[in-house]
Amino acid sequence: MTDTVIEFRDVNKWFGNIHVLRDINLAVEMGEVVVVCGPSGSGKSTLIRCVNALEPIQGGELVVLGESLTKPGVNLPALRTRVGMVFQSFNLFPHMTVLENIMLAPVKVRGLSAAEASRVARALLERVRIPDKAENYPANLSGGQQQRVAIARALAMQPKIMLFDEPTSALDPEMINEVLDVMTDLARDGMTMMVVTHEMGFARRVAHRIVFMDAGQVVEEAPPDLFFAAAKSDRAREFLSKILTH
Amino acid sequence: MRRILAGLLTLGLPLSVVSPALAQQSTLEKIGQSGVLTIGTRTASPPFAFVNKQNEWVGFSIDLVEQGVKPAIERKLGKPIKLEKKESTPPTRIPLLSSNAVDLIAGTMTDTRTRRESVDFSLTFFVTGAQFLVKKGSPIKSIDSIAGKRVAAQQGSTNARIIRERVPTAKLQEFPDQPAAFQALVQGQVDAYTNDGIQLYGLKAKAPKPDDWVVVGDFFSYEPYGMAMRKNDSDFRHAVNVGLMELIESGKYFELYDKWFGPKSETPYPLTAENKRFLIMQVVPK
Amino acid sequence: MNYQFNWSVLWSGQSGGWLLRGLGTTLALSGLAWLVAVALGIVSGAMRTVPWKPLRVVATFYVEFFRNVPLLVWMFFWYFGVPPLLPLAIREWLFDHGAEFWAGMFALGVYHGARMSEVIRSGIQSIPKTQFEAAVAIGLTTFQAYRLVIVPIALRLIVPPATSESLNLLKNSSVALTISVAELTFQTRQIETYTARAIEALTAGTVIYLGLCVGIATIMAHVERRFAIPGLIARGG
Ligand SMILES: Nc1ncnc2c1ncn2[C@@H]1O[C@H](COP(=O)(O)OP(=O)(O)OP(=O)(O)O)[C@@H](O)[C@H]1O
Ligand SMILES: [Mg+2]
Repeated sequence: MTDTVIEFRDVNKWFGNIHVLRDINLAVEMGEVVVVCGPSGSGKSTLIRCVNALEPIQGGELVVLGESLTKPGVNLPALRTRVGMVFQSFNLFPHMTVLENIMLAPVKVRGLSAAEASRVARALLERVRIPDKAENYPANLSGGQQQRVAIARALAMQPKIMLFDEPTSALDPEMINEVLDVMTDLARDGMTMMVVTHEMGFARRVAHRIVFMDAGQVVEEAPPDLFFAAAKSDRAREFLSKILTH
Repeated sequence: MRRILAGLLTLGLPLSVVSPALAQQSTLEKIGQSGVLTIGTRTASPPFAFVNKQNEWVGFSIDLVEQGVKPAIERKLGKPIKLEKKESTPPTRIPLLSSNAVDLIAGTMTDTRTRRESVDFSLTFFVTGAQFLVKKGSPIKSIDSIAGKRVAAQQGSTNARIIRERVPTAKLQEFPDQPAAFQALVQGQVDAYTNDGIQLYGLKAKAPKPDDWVVVGDFFSYEPYGMAMRKNDSDFRHAVNVGLMELIESGKYFELYDKWFGPKSETPYPLTAENKRFLIMQVVPK
Repeated sequence: MNYQFNWSVLWSGQSGGWLLRGLGTTLALSGLAWLVAVALGIVSGAMRTVPWKPLRVVATFYVEFFRNVPLLVWMFFWYFGVPPLLPLAIREWLFDHGAEFWAGMFALGVYHGARMSEVIRSGIQSIPKTQFEAAVAIGLTTFQAYRLVIVPIALRLIVPPATSESLNLLKNSSVALTISVAELTFQTRQIETYTARAIEALTAGTVIYLGLCVGIATIMAHVERRFAIPGLIARGG
């Protein structure tokens, strides 16, 4: 674990007048699992959305897989094939079957044949443990199943990095684990992951490092045992007391 | 959209047409009751019926009604009546009559045998025939030289029908509006525009450069203009005819002709001896 | 004053042939114009939602310019205004090969394209923005995201308003008679000229238009069911 695959250098971002990210410095190594937590509105989503350039940054530099995102002429679609993303609201394409959702990018972007893409897609469905739903439409799947399809769809491009923005927040409690289990598998297989989540059990078990954000700043970063046992900052301790006691 | 609406409205018309109360009333009774004679006429067919620069709705046909037909009806009814004018176009004029919206069409309507199956006509008040308006120097000289040529006509006119039958190889384009047809001639979309000769003279006179245009060819159709009214109402038709006959007999008709078609008018169109005689011979003895 | 109906005028003589030819012209005119309108509508409707201002400006200009000028004016524009811009030889060729049809077709297509554009734009705007983000996040370009995801979803959402816009287009095709296109309304007037039977002729025209509208509405309802997004009940939601 020595290769840095994501590096924020003094990154600043504004939405109009709102200063959303303030002087962020953060590096993620190959194979590392980083959980980002913090109060609502602290900028967690914005932080990881910058990594695949869904949000542009206004100051500093952000280097992802050796590419500086602020450099003019950077090929964003190519970068995004190497950085998968999973959203809170699943965002499956409702007019396509599960299989078609997963095959779309491999066929249209990587130019795989339909047969090859279908083989890859079925293998991924196996991996996220819903092999029998290939021909279903998203609307006929439970939330947990939809989110696992979304993960399979992102994995179909064989990304080097996976970003998760609160992947379980929209799920009923009984479905949360099926998604977390898939993510845990992924982490065990060595995927580099940045995960925004309030699932502190997952963070404790799977994360290599916790990044705590508040008001657009990275306030604290630490390995999970250290963070949960003895967070240094008052803000982190306050946040933890709220989240762990509810 | 408006046309569709018009179509749908017409679908409803048969209902009103056959409603018994209206079916019994003659046109003279209707006019006597309302005190109004309603005519359907044109707004842009100089010099027969048009809105002039002073925004007055005038013309030869309208004068004939005001100075001949209206007095005759007043005498018949024994009381003064008012004249009301409504716009009617070739496709709307017969439905307007049938639905009682107007009592008399007084514009530029050619009397034909087919039309007499739907409406009745007064005696003929004007005689013209179809010719061609072309650019000066055009090879088109008459109906014999239009084969393969692009010819504009006014839709709903008898001229288009004759060309279609006599010269099927001519490329006929029919426009609902005279100005559009003339514009097509000016720009070269068509090589000639055919209409009743008198209308072509009117058009030429109003063109920006009248000398660039010539009216050519012998009449290839016979266009007797008559006033149309609802069928089978002989008392009313008689009153209309009496009005027209009195105009011709008294010479008033020829004064009006001179006003609108004389040498000093905007559209000089001399009355041939033959036509004058024809008009006079339509006047039957008292 | 009883009106004697004589429906036989509609099939005796040449009337039947004229009605058929008018129907054919109306279908060709409306069909081609519809293709133009849908293509322009999709492109400009999509352009109005993209995250790049110059494209939005161009599309907005197209829409506002074309839909706010009456169709009749556009008919005259394409028939009288455009030919003088062409070289003489091409102009003459066009005049000999149905210039009025092509002018009418473009007028109708471009005018309704601007109106179709609004329908498609509102369809696209009813799709959550995250759907677009999900599409680009798997590596699709903006163009691919629109072509493969956003537009196909939008098209499924807008079938009902697109149907009524298509019916408007069909009905508006009759305006082409002002530039001498011999379409259906033209032919019903033609029958009136020859037979002096206005009510019968207009009734025939009305019934045919009605039949066409019902036919189109039926086809579109079928299309809507066939391509409905599974599980999606709320339209445009
Ligand atoms: N597109 C946007 N336009 C303007 N302001 C935005 C936008 N997106 C986010 N913000 C603002 O930026 C700040 C950070 O938002 P962000 O979504 O990154 O927070 P978060 O930490 O993910 O919160 P949550 O836990 O509620 O998801 C908030 O104040 C938010 O209101
Ligand atoms: Mg968030």
